[in-house]
Amino acid sequence: MIGRGMLPVLGAGVLLLPSPPVQAAPQHFERHFAVKGRPVVILQNVANGRIEVKSSKNSEVVVVATQASNKIGVVAEQAEERIDVTATILDNSAPANELEANFTLTVPEETELQLKSQTGLVYVEQVMGDMTLQSVAGDIHLKEVSGYIVVRTTGGSLVCTQCAGKLNFNSISGNAQVLQPGLSSVTLFTMSGNILFDGEFIRTGIYTMKSGKGTVEVHFSGNDSFDLNAQTATGTVDNQAEALLRPDSHGVRHIASRFTKGLFGTVGSGLAKVELSSYSGTIRILKRD
Amino acid sequence: MQCKEVEVVLERDGFVPVPEAARDHLSGCSSCRNLIADLTAIVATAHLLPAEVEPPARVWTSLRLQLEEEGIIRSAATRSGWLNFLEFFRPRVWATAAVGLLIVAAAALQFQRPTTQPIEARAYENIYENTSLTLNNDEAHLPAMQLAGNSSMDVSLRQNLDIVDKFIVDCEQRVKEQPQDELTRDYLSGAYQQKAELISAMMDRGGSGN
Repeated sequence: MIGRGMLPVLGAGVLLLPSPPVQAAPQHFERHFAVKGRPVVILQNVANGRIEVKSSKNSEVVVVATQASNKIGVVAEQAEERIDVTATILDNSAPANELEANFTLTVPEETELQLKSQTGLVYVEQVMGDMTLQSVAGDIHLKEVSGYIVVRTTGGSLVCTQCAGKLNFNSISGNAQVLQPGLSSVTLFTMSGNILFDGEFIRTGIYTMKSGKGTVEVHFSGNDSFDLNAQTATGTVDNQAEALLRPDSHGVRHIASRFTKGLFGTVGSGLAKVELSSYSGTIRILKRD
Repeated sequence: MQCKEVEVVLERDGFVPVPEAARDHLSGCSSCRNLIADLTAIVATAHLLPAEVEPPARVWTSLRLQLEEEGIIRSAATRSGWLNFLEFFRPRVWATAAVGLLIVAAAALQFQRPTTQPIEARAYENIYENTSLTLNNDEAHLPAMQLAGNSSMDVSLRQNLDIVDKFIVDCEQRVKEQPQDELTRDYLSGAYQQKAELISAMMDRGGSGN
């Protein structure tokens, strides 16, 4: 029999017993913002996690966030056509798995985007409008987007499928794949990643692709029309489309620098301008089957 | 007159002296005054370099775009939307601006007359050495937590810094051997720029503790 005097002691003892770890409860965040015209959506995700953007016919921006815990704060606000969304870390000492916030944005088809992410995938599909997308380690996948597209990553790679408009990509170690594009201006630079361009060169388009140490590979079709300039300092140029390349047809006599290896040539009438370079990697030029 | 119109006027007429049409606006707009101050500082620094010819307009255009991109100056179109982001980038300003200036200097040197080639080579060497020293000094002052952090972000940033460092060593070696190799110089300038941005990002991250 336990005496009445022992109860407070036992009570305190129970309180001091080690308790099982409390599982952080996931948080759900959802906001709807009515818009009239072409909105500008700005999202900065300082936490880890994925950002997915899709379009709808509705004149509203829907922001849905799933947070791993309440250690992350999500704020979304509207100033007429501008929607600002920010995820911030409220407790820096929290374990990494509690510092994750995944976003799904549904926007009108014509929307301007400014997204900043840390490690998660950024996925944008069927959005028309200028966009600036930044990521440190997360990849960026774009499908059927158009506008002036600016992508900056540290290590994240870009896959751009059926993109139109203008594309500017800059990365340290990320790869860039541009597939079936309708882009009239392409500027790709990566220090150690690889570049693959597989698609048509639009007449009057300008295409610049540079990799410091990686491979720059271009697949073009026999119907394309472009002037080609491929240069490398210490790498190699692998021209597998020699039969289609003719000397420059515009009367300009190109002389390669004595410090570089490279080739100049024209395919078709030479309407687009294609400049490829790699400091020490391989430049590969292929005709698609 | 709006900020964007001022930029158009400055692009068209230059900023020394400040065109009459932009003066009224400038008296009430600190942002545009800062833009003029930035441009003036850049020109002043570029003039310190010996025996140069004026770099073409495209150098300034690309510099302006780069400065806008880094948040050092703002275009009217993006100003309101990026106010929060600007705070995020604030500590990066000086490192990237310094490297930007050095890259302008390098670009200006490219337009010297061929008879000055030995001087040009030495000037390049000095610019690259200074840039390299500045960046290595910045790298040495990275916050300890950034260098020891285990998060995937910290690891990724360190790995990429290592990639940039190795690439710079490679390019510097080649530029020493072949100072006239323009392609390598371009890659080296780009690598310095990327290193400056990376160090700034790491400093920000170390400072915020995220």
